[in-house]
Amino acid sequence: MSNENIAELEKRKRGMGLKASARLSNTIIYILLVVISIIWIIPFLCIVLQSFRVESTWKVGYVIPQQWGFDNYVKLWSTNFPRWYLNTFVIALVVAVVQTLIVLCMSYTLSRFRFKMRAGLMRFMLILGMFPGMLAMIILYRVLDDLGMTGENMLPGLILVYVASSGMGYYVSKGFFDTIPKSLDEAARIDGATRAQVLTKIILPLAKPIVIYTILTAFMGPWGDFVFARYVSQLKPLGMNVAVGLQSWLATDTMTHDYYTLFCAGGVVVALPVAILFMCLQKYYVEGVTGGAVKG
Amino acid sequence: MASVKLTKVKKIYDNNVVAVHDFDLDIKDKEFVVFVGPSGCGKSTTLRMIAGLEEISEGTIEIDGEVVNDLQPKDRGIAMVFQNYALYPHMTVYDNIAFSLRLQKVPEDVIYEKVTNAAEILGITEYLLRKPRALSGGQRQRVAIGRAMVRNSKVFLMDEPLSNLDAKLRNQMRAEIILLRQKLDTTFIYVTHDQTEAMTLADRIVIMKDGYIMQVGTPEECFDMPNNLFVAEFIGAPKMNVLKTELSQEGGKYFVKPFGVKLEVDGVKGDMLKEKKVPAGEVILGVRPEHIVLAKEGEPGAIPVVLEVNEMMGSELHLHVYTEDGTRLIVRVPTIDLTHEQRENMVNGHKLFITFEGKVMHFFDPESEKNLLV
Amino acid sequence: MKRYSDLEYLRLSKGQKFLYKLASFFLAIPRGIGTFFLGIGRFFKKLGVGIGKEISDVVMTFVKGDWKTKTSYLVMGFGSIARGQMLRGLLFLLFEAVFIFYMVTAGGYWMSMLPSLGKIGPHEEYNMVLDTHYTVYGDNSFKILLYGVLTLFFIVAFLYTWRLNIKQNKISEDILRSGKKLKSGKDDLRSLVDDQFHKTLLALPLIGILVFTVMPIVFMILVAFTNYDGSHNGYSNALFTWVGLDNFKTIFSWDVGGVNYAATFGEVLTWTLIWAFFATFTNYFLGIFVAMMINKKGIRLKKVWRTILVLTIAIPQFISLLYVSKMFDINGLVNGALMSLHITDHAIDFWGTPWLARIMVIVINIWIGIPYLMLIATGILMNIPADLYESSRIDGASGWKQFTKITLPYMLFITGPYLLTSFTGNMNNFNVIYLLTGGRPTNPVASGAAGSVGYTDLLITWLFKITTGSDTKYYLASVVGILVFLVVALFTLIVYGLLPSVKNEEDFQ
Repeated sequence: MSNENIAELEKRKRGMGLKASARLSNTIIYILLVVISIIWIIPFLCIVLQSFRVESTWKVGYVIPQQWGFDNYVKLWSTNFPRWYLNTFVIALVVAVVQTLIVLCMSYTLSRFRFKMRAGLMRFMLILGMFPGMLAMIILYRVLDDLGMTGENMLPGLILVYVASSGMGYYVSKGFFDTIPKSLDEAARIDGATRAQVLTKIILPLAKPIVIYTILTAFMGPWGDFVFARYVSQLKPLGMNVAVGLQSWLATDTMTHDYYTLFCAGGVVVALPVAILFMCLQKYYVEGVTGGAVKG
Repeated sequence: MASVKLTKVKKIYDNNVVAVHDFDLDIKDKEFVVFVGPSGCGKSTTLRMIAGLEEISEGTIEIDGEVVNDLQPKDRGIAMVFQNYALYPHMTVYDNIAFSLRLQKVPEDVIYEKVTNAAEILGITEYLLRKPRALSGGQRQRVAIGRAMVRNSKVFLMDEPLSNLDAKLRNQMRAEIILLRQKLDTTFIYVTHDQTEAMTLADRIVIMKDGYIMQVGTPEECFDMPNNLFVAEFIGAPKMNVLKTELSQEGGKYFVKPFGVKLEVDGVKGDMLKEKKVPAGEVILGVRPEHIVLAKEGEPGAIPVVLEVNEMMGSELHLHVYTEDGTRLIVRVPTIDLTHEQRENMVNGHKLFITFEGKVMHFFDPESEKNLLV
Repeated sequence: MKRYSDLEYLRLSKGQKFLYKLASFFLAIPRGIGTFFLGIGRFFKKLGVGIGKEISDVVMTFVKGDWKTKTSYLVMGFGSIARGQMLRGLLFLLFEAVFIFYMVTAGGYWMSMLPSLGKIGPHEEYNMVLDTHYTVYGDNSFKILLYGVLTLFFIVAFLYTWRLNIKQNKISEDILRSGKKLKSGKDDLRSLVDDQFHKTLLALPLIGILVFTVMPIVFMILVAFTNYDGSHNGYSNALFTWVGLDNFKTIFSWDVGGVNYAATFGEVLTWTLIWAFFATFTNYFLGIFVAMMINKKGIRLKKVWRTILVLTIAIPQFISLLYVSKMFDINGLVNGALMSLHITDHAIDFWGTPWLARIMVIVINIWIGIPYLMLIATGILMNIPADLYESSRIDGASGWKQFTKITLPYMLFITGPYLLTSFTGNMNNFNVIYLLTGGRPTNPVASGAAGSVGYTDLLITWLFKITTGSDTKYYLASVVGILVFLVVALFTLIVYGLLPSVKNEEDFQ
């Protein structure tokens, strides 16, 4: 670095004062961050506020209710919403367990074992993933329909759809397993453990973060799924999940007229527990995203 | 305790890369054998094939007379210490060592005895309830050894166990491994890239390069009679000096002419040359730095050189010199052999004379690089 | 074009270097395409050689095998049973029995109907006794196609297992000849939790993928070559049959029954690509920017800022999207606020103006996507070795220079593959588009094709509309689906060919 540049830096520093220049940029950043935080929070704030509006059920141009009350929440009970909620909750529970098992089986195997079809299998799944998932849904729906697993009885059908192919979502978990040194496996095998024992006694205790991450994402998935649930529900009210149901309330202008505030209340009821769960386990989610997704 | 025999063992990877070629070796019971060589020479791969962590492409490996090619690692009667220790992070030191015993359903009181015994020998008793992350490198090293110790295995495998330690600790641990060997009375197979470790620890050394065995022998054999140029340069630090020169025969005596100075090959080496009836011609001459001595100007056999760099090692000087034709050599001179004045003169540009005797000379074929006297 | 040596290159001016790099890049493309086709050729050659080897192996095993092996060619598993491996032998035998039973009872029928997809459709018959006409249902094209494909899969599975059976015999003979023992049933079971554990672990997941993803996709690909739609559902209203490449011709034609499919496809495809590009890169760079802001030394309350953003990930997307969609309606909150603050005097039709709707969609997507990108960026930023920055500061680099020369290249290197999956994922980002706009506003050029197609419709939302509207043209959906796949595959191939940072996973271990 030349002497002129050093001199230039010194001059600039002396002109502003190093601390002052840093303080200026920091202030700008703080302002930006506050603005960003407000923008990000506003929609949710609005939803919550609107859910307490009593004087009308349709869309209005103002945010703060003129009359406050729990009316909308009470009304939720008399709609199909509780059924949707129950549906989605049950599905989410089952999916959380089964999908985690399947994903972990897949990602552990692909991380640890080197078998002949491994590279081909991963490439095949990559190509398979390039097809829009919806395409499979069209025929699956018809088959499930024949088997009677659609409409009101969509629970087992939809669960099957979610978990059966969840093995394809191995990428993040596999990335995590890859960071556990293979020499641990080898030491355990020399110590006398079978491959199955290596998994249960050595690897799983070390995999707590990714297991929690997988359970969390598996649980949250069904709450937000729209497309697949819509196919399977056949738009029969009792067969919907919360996403399809709440969307149906805003599907047309006439519906919106009557259901807008109900939608807000329903949205809060759905979002609150999921958000709380997420924030509690936030640490694992972040670890999963930054660790597995990036390094994998 | 057991013998290990490798017969024509080969390792070929999927992309047809041959990592280990035709490896033949007979390891006797209770022998300490060291596989040594530069990175990628196949030493770790061979060790892992013995352990059962790599598939054997061709050939057989026998442990204690039994062919183990198709046996799982746990059924081969081996124990292994890894380079990065591979301690189970979520278990205490006690549980780490006890792990294999618990898998075999050994009763807890027997486990207690064995583990505490091993801990005492290794000096880690006070760490038994700690987790690996609370231990230093040297301590983890010992736990790894302890884990392998309690298994009463036939063969003890060690894969570069000292590579992750700092220099001082490495020296210390080297001595401890020698003590351990005395206590354990087992067959040891040790892998390293450090020739010092190989020389100090081994009963026999196996030097490897690019998947081939270059030489198998005791440390003395490898040092005094290297099979080829690679072994000669690999063993011993600093590296052996090598130069091309002409070997001539005159009146029943052999002569070499390094840098224009005629030296007779007398002593043991001269006899060997005569015995083997080595023909005159171009050879690669090798001399170790410690075998070159300073000479006085005008002495017969004195080679003129110029000093470039003087490394003060404490008990000796490592002089980096170059000859008239630009060849660089290293000479080791004990400090005690020089006067204070001589030492002062050892600066860049100082003119010196060196020479060496016939008995320290090594001769290698210029094309095959083989030792002409082997 | 002249190829410069390293030293010559260094002497060029900045502009010349850039031009040189550009020219090299474009010249590399034909070479890349050539390598690609060579790769395909090599793949088929390997396939051919592989098949040839298998066939010769089957023949040789028969010729050289003993009587047990030879019998196994007809009775699967015989060789294993005869050599004492009861478990394996019985499994093979059972499989063969099931297969033969199936083919005789049902499989044969389905296969035979496959070429025609049904001959007798629903028709009227006359009941003389009751003097009424009633509908008689004949063949079921859907079931024929479905079970026909399943049977084909079954046949392939059988061939594979039969081949396995042959190989088993050969291996067993070799083992016995060299004096070793064969694995017993107990050994096999034990190995399932040890060296063959991967098979145990993969069995269920792979079966799930096979049944619920592979087969439906194969089925839908085949549908693209039929005329299966709402009025030809294969059973209750009419049969459907093979139409060859007609559907593909349709989608690229300008006028089929008054509908301009080619234009529709072109419009939607163009917007899909534009959308994917902007959606991915705006989120990417802004996410990095926000992450860097929060991560900067001297900024306090880092956790607070991050938590606020992460909160938006926690809330199910559909709620946010549906609500925001209503917020920007003509009589929604935003227009209400704008008018009451006298920024505008009449409502802005956000969702009704094509270019505005498109911009809004991209902007809202930023709102949805930044928190996620911020997390990833933060994770990577924290892993950039600090001494890179320190040495650059000593060298006199300003903040911006550090960003462009250190941060950005490092980021791009690590997240290269992620960007690609993000791009292709955005191409199929159904929720954001459908829940925000439903594809509106309607595109006159594009509409008329199976439901109204709008300015913000992606290929995937168009697909959805085709299959859920009143006029469900499944064959069209399949064609669009296949085309989506081709576009995504093409992109992935190109980018993977160009990216230097396609990582080798073993590097990390």
